[in-house]
Amino acid sequence: MSTVWLPCGDYHQNYATDQGWWQTRFIKTKMILLLGVLFIGIPLFTSEYWMSVATMIGYTSMGALGVQLLIGYSGLITLGHSAFIAVGAYTSTLLVLQFPWPQLILDWGLAYPTSIIIAALVAGIWSVLFGLPCAKVKGFYLILTTMAAQFITVDFVITQYVSQIGGRGHAFSLPPGTIKIGPWVIDTEIEIYYLMAILLTGLVAIMANLLRSRVGRAWVAIRDNDIAAETLGINIVWYKLLAFFAAGFMGGIAGAFWVSNTAALSPEHFTWFWSLWLVGVILIGGVGSIHGVIFGSAFMVIIMELLQWAVIPLSQYYPQLLINFAYIKDSAFGLAICAFLIYEPNGLAYRWWQVKNYFNLWPFSY
Amino acid sequence: MELFLMSLTTGILVGGIYALVALGWVLIYKCSGVLNLAMGELTLIGGYVALTFYQMGFPFVLSVVCTLLIGIALGVLTERIFLDKLIGEPILAVIMVTVGLSFFFRGIVEFIWGTDTRVFTPAVFSIKPISIGFLKVSPVYLWSFILAIVLLIVFVAFFKYTRWGLSMQATADDETAALSLGVSARFVYAAAWAIAFMSAGVGGALLGNINGINISVGSLGLLVLPAVVLGGLNSVPGAIVGGIIIGVLQNLSGTYLDVYFPGGVKETMPFAFMAVFLLFKPYGLWGWERIERV
Repeated sequence: MSTVWLPCGDYHQNYATDQGWWQTRFIKTKMILLLGVLFIGIPLFTSEYWMSVATMIGYTSMGALGVQLLIGYSGLITLGHSAFIAVGAYTSTLLVLQFPWPQLILDWGLAYPTSIIIAALVAGIWSVLFGLPCAKVKGFYLILTTMAAQFITVDFVITQYVSQIGGRGHAFSLPPGTIKIGPWVIDTEIEIYYLMAILLTGLVAIMANLLRSRVGRAWVAIRDNDIAAETLGINIVWYKLLAFFAAGFMGGIAGAFWVSNTAALSPEHFTWFWSLWLVGVILIGGVGSIHGVIFGSAFMVIIMELLQWAVIPLSQYYPQLLINFAYIKDSAFGLAICAFLIYEPNGLAYRWWQVKNYFNLWPFSY
Repeated sequence: MELFLMSLTTGILVGGIYALVALGWVLIYKCSGVLNLAMGELTLIGGYVALTFYQMGFPFVLSVVCTLLIGIALGVLTERIFLDKLIGEPILAVIMVTVGLSFFFRGIVEFIWGTDTRVFTPAVFSIKPISIGFLKVSPVYLWSFILAIVLLIVFVAFFKYTRWGLSMQATADDETAALSLGVSARFVYAAAWAIAFMSAGVGGALLGNINGINISVGSLGLLVLPAVVLGGLNSVPGAIVGGIIIGVLQNLSGTYLDVYFPGGVKETMPFAFMAVFLLFKPYGLWGWERIERV
């Protein structure tokens, strides 16, 4: 077998090569180039504005990865994922602001990194709590319990109680210099971007690895047919709860990252709208693929930016547009989801796969 | 005790409106298998349309009738443009199309009517409470309840006695058999959406009379979801009972629990109750238990 690229068709002689990450030298080069673009190319050659767009894409992807895990790989439809992102964000903020850290840890800048990990764990556990009904219910009933998670967590617990901690009222704000990793204070666009890039790469690697392990195969089996999976000896309740935990964990990391991006926190960042937005992102990107998550978030974020550009010159003639931009955004998002589901139900990842296949056989297809 | 009875009656009366909207939901589900998450926005549209007609000088009853007509048109259009192409697609696709629709509708509604709370002026119902026995009830609630019940009866009679209603029942029961008997499934789907728009529209108009109408009426419309889950997804009496239970639950928790948990307990309670309820009765009160075969 060629070590440079695979001939047309997949020739794998054993399971290990089939599941391998770096199957050929071509793929290895491609991935290293991609990492180079992500870590060197974008920060070096783009303006601050585009870097902030990239950060937004990264944040959306981190949130949507958990949704992808639940919907795309375990078949558990969730419409309340932003609740877990919110739990992560609030845990991290409260830890940074309120927890009496020893001076040593503050000096070494370990408070925020530790709080990310704790936030992820707390969000995961919170997610399992609301995943418990999945032992008995599925389909639409499960969708409703995840919606209940959203309303109970964000609209009730966080808005009414957690936001009141510290007596600041509605929103938390983080004083400059509190978000510090080691010796670096995360406050410029480029530092936030790097934090995003590192976390996103880590999460994608974790998820890709999980999916080719025993756990991931169990999830996919449950998604395809849970009764058949049970007869194969998979403990479906355990694995479903594990899926909820993993998704909540990723959501928690995304939330903790969001804190560094905005330096302020309010329940309005985590509305039901945002949960639905994340589901829309994976539908547009393609259900059941990791790069679909990235495609979907990039597509949505960039389309919204373009929409904003289009609105600004138009607003000279019709000033109402600028005020009503949020509603245009809603409508555009709704129409985009409908159009994708009707005309492109496999999402952008499927198009990507088609293009790749075309060039695999190029220039002499069968 | 009097407080209890008061909140109980208010709950039942508001529950009547929820029951009406829930009926529309169950109908779509029974006829076409679509789980509709856009019900809140349908309610919102109905409320604003009725308000616009009322503001133009129509009497309230006439503007409700106009809302019904516009509801039919919008329902048929929605079904033809969006849902028709999704027959036979997986459940997630269909649900997410309704989610997309809900964004689309909400954006349009906010774009046209803005976000300020609007009230029906002059007020449709007088503010002076009516006494029934020792209970004092605000006339808005009472008339809304009566209107909701009348419409419920009309809808149920429609299903039982008219040709269209019977064909809808047949499709809900067994689509293939209904098709072979010459029922047009596409017509039935369109009719189901039209009825859903109509019932949600009237619900919205009535809810708008209680507290004025703004975007939060949409989240009130979302309360039909716990209602239908409590009743069981495919049971019409379940929808009605579920709607009333949700109304009562909401008002009782607003009266008694608000002291201990200040804030949004009234809005959250139905969802919390539903999540716990599902742990014990996963198919609601009268939903069909799905027996799965591999």
